[in-house]
Amino acid sequence: MAVDERVQTILDRALAEIAEARSTPDLEKLRVRVLGRSGELTALLRSLGSMPVEERPRIGQQANQAKARIEARIAERLDALKTLEHQRALSAGRVDLTLPGRRMPPGAVHPITRIQEEIIEIFEGLGFSVAEGPEIESDYYNFAALNFPDDHPARDMQDTFHLSPDTLLRTHTSPVQIRTMKAQRPPVRFIFPGKVYRRDADITHSPMFHQVEGLAVDRHVTMADLKATLELFARQMYGARSQVRFRPSFFPFTEPSAEMDVRCFLCGGTGCRACKDGWLEILGSGMVHPNVLRNVGYDPEEVTGWAFGMGVDRVAMLKYGIDDIRLLFENDLRFLQQFTPPQDSLTPVGRGPGEGR
Amino acid sequence: MKVSYHWLREFVDTDLAAKDIADRLINVGIEVTSIAPVVEGVSGVVIAEIEAIEKELGVGAAGHRNRLCRVALPDKKFSVICGAPNVAVGLRTAFAPPGSTLPGGRDVQAVKVRGVISEGILCSERELGVSDDHRGILELPSDAPLGADLVAYLGLDDVILDVEVTPNRPDALSVVGVAREIAALTGAPFRFPHVAVREGEIAASSLCTIEIEAPDLCPRFCARLITGLTVRPSPPWFAQRLRGVGLRPINNLVDVTNYVMWELGQPLHAFDLETLAQRKIVVRRARPGERLTTLDGQERILDPDMAMVCDAERAVGVGGVMGGADTEVTERTTSVLLEAAYWNPGSIRRTSRALGLATDAAYRFERGGDIEGLSDALDRAAQLMADLGQGTVARGMLDVYPAPRPRPRIALRLSRVERLIGVCPPRDDAVRILRALGFAVDDSGADLQVSVPSFRRDIAQEDDLVEEVIRLWGYDKIPVTLDRGGALLPVKCPQPVRLARTVSRELNAAGLFECITYSFVDPDRLHLMGWSADSGLLALDNPLSRERSVMRPSIVPGLLEVLATNASRQIPDARIFEVGRVFTPHREEDGDRPAHEELWAGIALTGLRQPRAWHAGRERVDVYDVKGAAELVLTAAGLSGWDAVPWPDGAAPRYLEPGRSARLLVEGRDVGSFGEVALAVREAFDLEAAVFVAEVSLSALLELPAWAPRYQPLPRYPAVQRDLALVVPDDVAAGEIEAAIRGMRLPLLTRLLLFDVYTGDQVGPGCRSLAWSLTFQAPDRTLKDAEVNELHARIVKEIGERFKAEVRGT
Repeated sequence: MAVDERVQTILDRALAEIAEARSTPDLEKLRVRVLGRSGELTALLRSLGSMPVEERPRIGQQANQAKARIEARIAERLDALKTLEHQRALSAGRVDLTLPGRRMPPGAVHPITRIQEEIIEIFEGLGFSVAEGPEIESDYYNFAALNFPDDHPARDMQDTFHLSPDTLLRTHTSPVQIRTMKAQRPPVRFIFPGKVYRRDADITHSPMFHQVEGLAVDRHVTMADLKATLELFARQMYGARSQVRFRPSFFPFTEPSAEMDVRCFLCGGTGCRACKDGWLEILGSGMVHPNVLRNVGYDPEEVTGWAFGMGVDRVAMLKYGIDDIRLLFENDLRFLQQFTPPQDSLTPVGRGPGEGR
Repeated sequence: MKVSYHWLREFVDTDLAAKDIADRLINVGIEVTSIAPVVEGVSGVVIAEIEAIEKELGVGAAGHRNRLCRVALPDKKFSVICGAPNVAVGLRTAFAPPGSTLPGGRDVQAVKVRGVISEGILCSERELGVSDDHRGILELPSDAPLGADLVAYLGLDDVILDVEVTPNRPDALSVVGVAREIAALTGAPFRFPHVAVREGEIAASSLCTIEIEAPDLCPRFCARLITGLTVRPSPPWFAQRLRGVGLRPINNLVDVTNYVMWELGQPLHAFDLETLAQRKIVVRRARPGERLTTLDGQERILDPDMAMVCDAERAVGVGGVMGGADTEVTERTTSVLLEAAYWNPGSIRRTSRALGLATDAAYRFERGGDIEGLSDALDRAAQLMADLGQGTVARGMLDVYPAPRPRPRIALRLSRVERLIGVCPPRDDAVRILRALGFAVDDSGADLQVSVPSFRRDIAQEDDLVEEVIRLWGYDKIPVTLDRGGALLPVKCPQPVRLARTVSRELNAAGLFECITYSFVDPDRLHLMGWSADSGLLALDNPLSRERSVMRPSIVPGLLEVLATNASRQIPDARIFEVGRVFTPHREEDGDRPAHEELWAGIALTGLRQPRAWHAGRERVDVYDVKGAAELVLTAAGLSGWDAVPWPDGAAPRYLEPGRSARLLVEGRDVGSFGEVALAVREAFDLEAAVFVAEVSLSALLELPAWAPRYQPLPRYPAVQRDLALVVPDDVAAGEIEAAIRGMRLPLLTRLLLFDVYTGDQVGPGCRSLAWSLTFQAPDRTLKDAEVNELHARIVKEIGERFKAEVRGT
C-alpha cells in the first residue's frame, strides 16, 4: 500500500529538518510548523473530511503514524540539542572555582568578649545564673558592705576612681554580689561579669578591665565545694589536664581566702615570663566572710557561701599571647581582625592553647 | 618587705635553705617575690691592715693620688697600689689578694702599673657590690680580725628574701613575724628575742614625764631614756644588715631604731632628750593651722585630726608618721628619749594621706601595731643603743596606757571548721597550729578556747581562727567535692546580657568588628561634639589624665577615637561597633544606684562599603549603610516598625550633620539616632573621609513590648502586583508617601515595597522618581482586575494630589 504522497512529503521534509535543527528554538519552530494548531500535518488531518470516504482511513492512519514518528524524532533531537546546548553554555561561561566566594566577610567579637562568654558558658553549664549591677557605685556597696573598714589599707589593694567622696567606679564586681544577696534568699548561685575600674595604668594594668565573679550560698556550701567547682572550671577553660593549686591569701570579704593558680600552659610549668615558677595566678576566692553575710541579712550559722573573682583581660592576654594590655583598648583593626579566621594572611596561623576542636 | 635569711635564723631554728623557705611560705599566704644573695661572686677577700705607705706614685689619670701600700695579713705581706683618699697607716680594710674574685666573677691578679707591681686590690663598698659608695676603701674597726674572710665577717653570704605581706598581717612585716610563720609551718623551734636591759642608777621618771591628752589617737605611749651616748657609724656587720634589707645606715642611734623596727615590727623614734623643752612629752591633737618641720625638712601644716608628739612648748613629731627636725638625733646628741607608741590605725592612715607622707612607720601603724609589744621593742632598742653608743639606760620604762586592752578570747568549734571547709584536721593538729602561731589555747572543753595575742589584730571571730588552722594545715589537704544537697535552680541570664550578645552577633555577621573603648572620655572633645558643661556630665575627681576624666554620655566619642587611631595607622576603612554602658546623672528611678546607666549600641562606618574583593565595588559607605546597621540592631531586639524623623529645631546633636541625620522612633519613643558626622567634629578627630554613626539604646528597646512570632494562615488566593512610580519634588520624603498610603487603610493592600529610587536626566532637576511594588490580596477570593484597578487608581489620585506627584507609566 503506497503512502500518500502528501504525507510522505511532509514526513520526509520534517525528518530532514529535524536532523538539521541546530537549536532548541529551531526545533520548536519546526514543531509548530508541522504539528502546531495550524501546522502542515494538522492541516492535512483536518482536510480528511474533504477527501474521498474510502481514502480517509488509509491517509488518516498514515498521517497519524507520520505524526508519531515526527514527535518521536523531535523528542530525540530535543534531548540531544539540550545536552549540546547545556555543554555549550557551560564551556562558554567557564567558572574559576578558586575565586573567593561572594559575600561580606564577617567581623569579629572583641577578644575580651570572646573569653568572657567562654567563662559565662562554662558556669552556666554548672548551674550558675548571670547577674549585673551598676558600674558607678556607692562606697557602701563597693567597700563597706564587703567588710572593708573605713581608713583601712586593704582599700589600697584597689586604687579607686572617685566621682565624689561617696561615689566611685566599682573596683570589682563584688558589689553585685551584695545587691544580689540583698534581693533574694539563699540558695544563691550566680556569676557576675562586667567592667571594673582601678586607678592604675601600665603594660599589664588598665584603668578599666573586666571581671567575672561567682558566688554560691546555701546551707551546706564548703571550701571543698569551692575547690571542686574551680577545678572543674579550670579543666574546661585551660584543658582537661590542667593542674591547679590553692594557696592562702587575703581579701576582706572572704575568710578563709585562697588564690588559685593554674600550672602555666605557656611553658608547661618550667617557668617563663608570664608565670611565677610555673604557676599562673588566675583567680582569688574564699568562703564568704561572716560579716558580709550579716550585712546582707543572712545568718552565717544557717548558711555558708563561697565566692571567686577573676580578671578576664588577663586570661585573654594569656590565652592569645597578648603582651600589652593597652592593645585591648586601642581597637586597631589589624588587632581585632586576628579574632576571626584570616582570609588573606601569608603568615602561618597557629592555634592557641585550648582553642580549636 | 626584704628579710635576711641569717636574720630569720636568729629566731627560727631551721636548716631549710632560703629557696625552700620561700616555697613553703607561699603555702601559708606569704608570697616571696624574689630571692637574691647579698653579693654574688665574692671569694677570697679578707680583712687586712695597711702597715705602711711605701711610696707615693703621683696623681693618676683619674685624679687619684696613688700610693703603694704595704698590706699585712697575719702570715704574709703584699704591695698594693691604692688611689683612695682614706688610705692610712693602721687602717683595717677589705683586701682582695691575687686569686680572689670580686662581684661578677672578676678575677683579681697581680698587675704591673707603670713598672710597679700591685698585688691585689683594696676594696670600696662598690667594688664589693654592697653599695654604690666608691668614695674610699672600706674602713673596718681596729678589732676586725686580721686575715678573716670578709664575706663571713660582714654577713655578705646572706640571702635576701623579698616577701609580700597582705594588709591584714602587720605582724608579718618583721623578721620575727616571718620567723614565727616559718616555725609554725615547719615545726622548727621559734625563739623570741628576750632582752635583759642593764639599767643605770638614774630613774627615767626623774628625767622626763609623759602625758597623753588624746588617748583615742594614742592609746599607749612608752619611752626609755639612754644617756651618755656617743654618736658614730654603726659597726660594719650592723650597717650591712640594714643595707641588705634596703635601709640606709645613718648612725648608730638612728640605725638601732630602724633595726628594731625591721626585726620586731615596732616603729621607734629617737628624740635628742636635750632638745625637748622641760623634758616633757605631751601627746595631743594638733592645733588648727599648727606647723611643724619634719625630719625631711618639709614644713607641714597640721590639723586637729592629727596626733602630735609635743614637748612642753611645741610639736616635735607627727605621731606615728615622722619626727620633727628640731629634735632629731645629731652628731652632738648624748641623751636620747626613745619612743615606742601605739597609734590609732585609721588616724595614722588619714594623717599620712593628708600630709602625703608615706613612711615605714605609718605603713605599719596604719595596719595596726602590737600594743603589748611596745616594751619588748623598747628594751631591745634601748639595750642595743647603749651597747653601740656606750651609753646607759635609765632605770625604768615610762609607760602611759590609760585603758589596757584585754586579749580577745574566741571559742573555736571544730564542727565549724568542718562546716566551713568540708573537713577538719585532727584536734591535736589544730591546737598545735594555733599555739605555734602564738595563740594561747585552752583545750579542756569541747570547743577550743583561744586567746588572741596582741599582735594579731586581724583575728576577731571564729572563722578567722578556722582560716589560721586550715592555712597552716594545708589547703592541699582540703578534699574536692561538689555541693551537697543544693537545690536545683533554673539558670537565668538578664535580658540586657542576652540582647547585647544577639546584637553583637548580628553586627559581626554584617561585617562589623566589636570594639571596647574606655568608659571615660575627653571633656574637650565632648564639648566640641555639643555637650555643654551643664549637660550633666559625670566627672572623675581623680582621673589619670584629662583625656580620660569624664564618664561617657555616649558610645560615639570612643568610636570616633578608634577611627582616628586606625586612620593614623593607614587603615582608612572601618566598620566597627561597641555595646556598653553610657552614664548620666542619677534619676528617681535609679533608686540606690548612684548614677543613671543605660546599655547602648554604637556603630561607626567610614571608607569603602566592602573590603576590597574581586566581586566588590568601590562604593563608599553612606548614611543608608549606617541606618541599615541600626535597623539590624532593632530587628535583633525583635522590633518590626520604626520611624526615622528629624529632631525639633535645635535639638539635634551637634556632632551630626543637620539634614543628614535623624532620630529613630519606635511607637513615638526615642530609641536612638543615626547620621553623618559633622565636618567640624570629623576634623577635630583628624578624619578625612565621611563618617557615619548610629546609636541605639538597648535599654530603651528592652522596655518596649517584646515581639513574638505568631503564625498567620498562608494566603489561599493569588496576589496581584501593581507598580506605583511617582516623580516627586526632592523635599518629599519617601516615608511620608508610605505613611500616606498606609493611612488610607486599604484592607486589600497587603504589602508595600519601595523598589526603586532614581534621580537623573529622565526626571529633571529638583525631582526624583520613587517606585513601589504594591501587593493586593484577599483572604477569601481571587481578586478581579477591575477591583485592583480601582484601588490602584484611588491610591494614584490620593497620593498624586497630596504630594503634587506625577505618575509615571502605570
